[in-house]
Amino acid sequence: MRQRQGLIALAFLAPALVCLAVLRIVPAISAVVESFYSESLLRGGRVFAGLGNYTDLLAGKEFRQSVGVTLLFTVLVNPIQVVVSFLLAVLFTQRAAGARLWRTLVILPIATPPAVSAVIWSVIYRPDGLANGVLERLGLPAQPFLTSPSQVLASLIVLLSWIGVGYWMLFLIAGIQEIPVEVREAALLDGAGPWRRMVSVILPLVRRPLAFVLVADTVSNLLVFAPVQILTKGGPNGNSNLLMYDVYNRAYAIGDIHVAQAEVVILVALTLVIVAGQFRLLRGDQ
Amino acid sequence: MRRNLFALPAAALAAALLLAGCGGSSGSDSSSAPAADPGPETGTITFTGTDNAETYQPVIKAFEAKNPGIKVTYTQIPFDQFNATMQQRLSAKDAGIDVYTVDEPRVSQLAAKGFLVDLSDLDGRVKGSFSATAYETNRFRDKLWSLPMWNSTQFLFYNKTALAKAKVAPPTADPEQRWTWEQVEAAGRKAMQAGATKYGLFMEQPEAYYQLQPLAESLGGGSGIEGDDALTPAVETDGWKKAMQWYGATFASGLSPRGIGGFQTGPVFANGDVAFFVGGPWDLKIFGSSKIDWGVAPLPYFQGGKPVTPTGSWSLGINPASKQQGMARKFVEFATLDAAGNLATTSTTTIIPANLEAQKQYTPKMDAFSGAKTAGAAAITAYESEHTAVSRPVSVGYIQFEEVMAKAFADIRNGTNPDTRLHEATRQLTEAWRSIK
Repeated sequence: MRQRQGLIALAFLAPALVCLAVLRIVPAISAVVESFYSESLLRGGRVFAGLGNYTDLLAGKEFRQSVGVTLLFTVLVNPIQVVVSFLLAVLFTQRAAGARLWRTLVILPIATPPAVSAVIWSVIYRPDGLANGVLERLGLPAQPFLTSPSQVLASLIVLLSWIGVGYWMLFLIAGIQEIPVEVREAALLDGAGPWRRMVSVILPLVRRPLAFVLVADTVSNLLVFAPVQILTKGGPNGNSNLLMYDVYNRAYAIGDIHVAQAEVVILVALTLVIVAGQFRLLRGDQ
Repeated sequence: MRRNLFALPAAALAAALLLAGCGGSSGSDSSSAPAADPGPETGTITFTGTDNAETYQPVIKAFEAKNPGIKVTYTQIPFDQFNATMQQRLSAKDAGIDVYTVDEPRVSQLAAKGFLVDLSDLDGRVKGSFSATAYETNRFRDKLWSLPMWNSTQFLFYNKTALAKAKVAPPTADPEQRWTWEQVEAAGRKAMQAGATKYGLFMEQPEAYYQLQPLAESLGGGSGIEGDDALTPAVETDGWKKAMQWYGATFASGLSPRGIGGFQTGPVFANGDVAFFVGGPWDLKIFGSSKIDWGVAPLPYFQGGKPVTPTGSWSLGINPASKQQGMARKFVEFATLDAAGNLATTSTTTIIPANLEAQKQYTPKMDAFSGAKTAGAAAITAYESEHTAVSRPVSVGYIQFEEVMAKAFADIRNGTNPDTRLHEATRQLTEAWRSIK
C-alpha cells in the first residue's frame, strides 16, 4: 500500500523533478564543470584549465570592477526598493479616496516587459528627453544621466525601482491586510498616531512578507540584465557593468564561454552569501 | 521499491554529469566539416537576420516561385541582440536556423567555431560574380564559408534648409571635391549658431567600428589590428589617437549629441535637428519620407589625410546543424549568385547588391530613390567602391575586437580621455585574445 502511494506520489512529482533536473541541475553542473576548461580557437580543442579561469578572472581589472559595482548597486537598490514598497503599501492600505486607482497605477509597470521599460527610459534619459524637460521646467540644469560615470548607476536604480516597487508592494499589501482588524483598532483606541501605528504595529506584523520581499528582491537585483544591455552596455567606463551583464558579455559577445561559466559560479556564490547573511540578520531579529 | 525511488534522481544526476561533460566540446571540430546530408528536397527552411520581414519578402517570394515545394520563413532578431543570440543558438547546435546573415568580418571566427557550412565547391562561381574584396572577406583558411549578399558605403547627408539659414554653401556630390571633417565641423557650428539646428554633426552608428574605422584610417592610423595572425592590437597609433581626440571633442563641445544611440539616431536628422549626418545607402529611401529638404555628398576625410570609406555588409551562411542543407543552399545561391535573386533582396531596402551583375543594374537607379534629394548617390557609390573603400580587418579575433572597440567608442563619446581609453582597449584586447591564441 505504502509502495503504491509512493509510486503515485512519484508520478505526480515526476514532471517537476524532470524539469528541476533539466532546467536547473544540469545547467548548474555543466557550468561548474565547464568553468574548469578552456578552449583555443587557433589551436583548437578543449583543455582542462583547473582554476585558471577563476584566477584569470580575479586578476582582471574589469571583473573586480564589476564585482565592486554589483556590490554597491546591491547595497543601494535593495533598501531603497524595500522601503519605498513598504511605504507605498502602508499608504495604499489606508482608507482614502482613490487608493485603489493609485495602487493600480503603481502596479502597472509590472505588466511592461523589462526590455520595453528600458526602451521607454532610454527616451526619458536622452539629453533632450522627458527627465531633462522636467528639470528645465524646475529651473534646474540638464543632467547627463546614462552618459555620466557618476550618475549611471543611480539612473538605473531609479528605472529598476519604477519597474520593481509595484511588484514588491503587492506582497506587502497582502501582508498588511492580514493584520487582524482588532489589532489596528486597538492601536487606534490607544491613541497611536499614524507613524506610531506604522512603526510599532504594522512593521513588526509584516516582518515575514518583508523578509521574503528583501530576499527575493536581492536575488532579482543581482540578476538584472535587460536594462544594462539596452541602455548602457556596462558603461561609461564600466560603471554600470553589473555581474549578470558581464557574464552575458563574456559568454556571447566576447565568446569566452568557459570564463563566463566561472563567473556564473562566482555570481551564484555571491548571491548565496548575501542571501544567507540576510537570513541570519532576520533570524537575529526574532 | 524505495531504493528505486532514490535511483531515479541518481540516474538523472549521472546523465546530467555526462551531458555536462559533452556540453562544451562543441566548436572546435571546425574546418573539417563532414559531408553533410542535404536533407529533404521540399519543406520549409528558416532564414534568420536583423532586417525587418518586408526586406526579404520579395526575394523569398521569387525563390518560392522558382522552387515549388520549398517555403522560406524569416525570423528577425534585432541588430543589437543579433550577434549574441546567434552565438548562443549556434553553439547550442540549434537546427531551427537553416540560413542566417553573417557580418563579413565575423566570417573567420564563425568558421573557426564550426558555425558555418563549408561552401568551397562554389568558389569558382563566387570569384567570378563578386568583387575581389567581397570574395576574399568570405574566405578563411583557404575555404569559402559564406556568400556575399550586400555591399555598403557611407554618405554625408546634409540638411539643405539649415545650411541655407546659416548661409553656408552645401557640399558638392563630386567625390573629387569632397569636404574635410574640419569643413563639416565649421559649417555644423555655423548652423547651430544660426539657430538652424540643435546639433551640427551626428553619425548614425556613433559607437560602431564600421562607421568609425574611416576616421582613423583617413589619418593613416591603420585598422587597429596587426601581426601575422592578426591578433595584435594597434589602436594606439597616432592616427587612432588623433581621430579619437577629434571624435570625443565633437561630443564634448555639443556638436554631436550624447545619450542618443541605437536606432534613435536617424530620426534626429529626419526631424531637422542636425545639419550633417553620416549614414548608409539604406537612408536614401528612409529619409525620403522626412519633411526636411536634404542632399547627399561623399564621406569627408581629415585635412592632410586620405579619403577612406567603409564597405562590406551581410553575407549569407548555412548553419551546420541544419537538417535541410540542400534547400538552404538553394536559397543562399538564389539570393546571392543569381543576379535577379540578389536584386530582389534590395528592392525594399536601399542597400547595394553584392553580385556584380545585379550591381550594374542597381547603381544607376540610386540617384532617383528620393527624387532630386538623392542626386549624385550613384556616382558617389561607384567612385567609393573603386577608390576609397577599405574593408574591416579579417581576424579570427574580430568579434572580440568589435565588442571591445564599441565600448571604447562609447566611453570616448561620453567624455573619457581618448588616449587612456585606447590604452585600456589595447589591454582588454590583449587579454581577450590571449584565450584565442
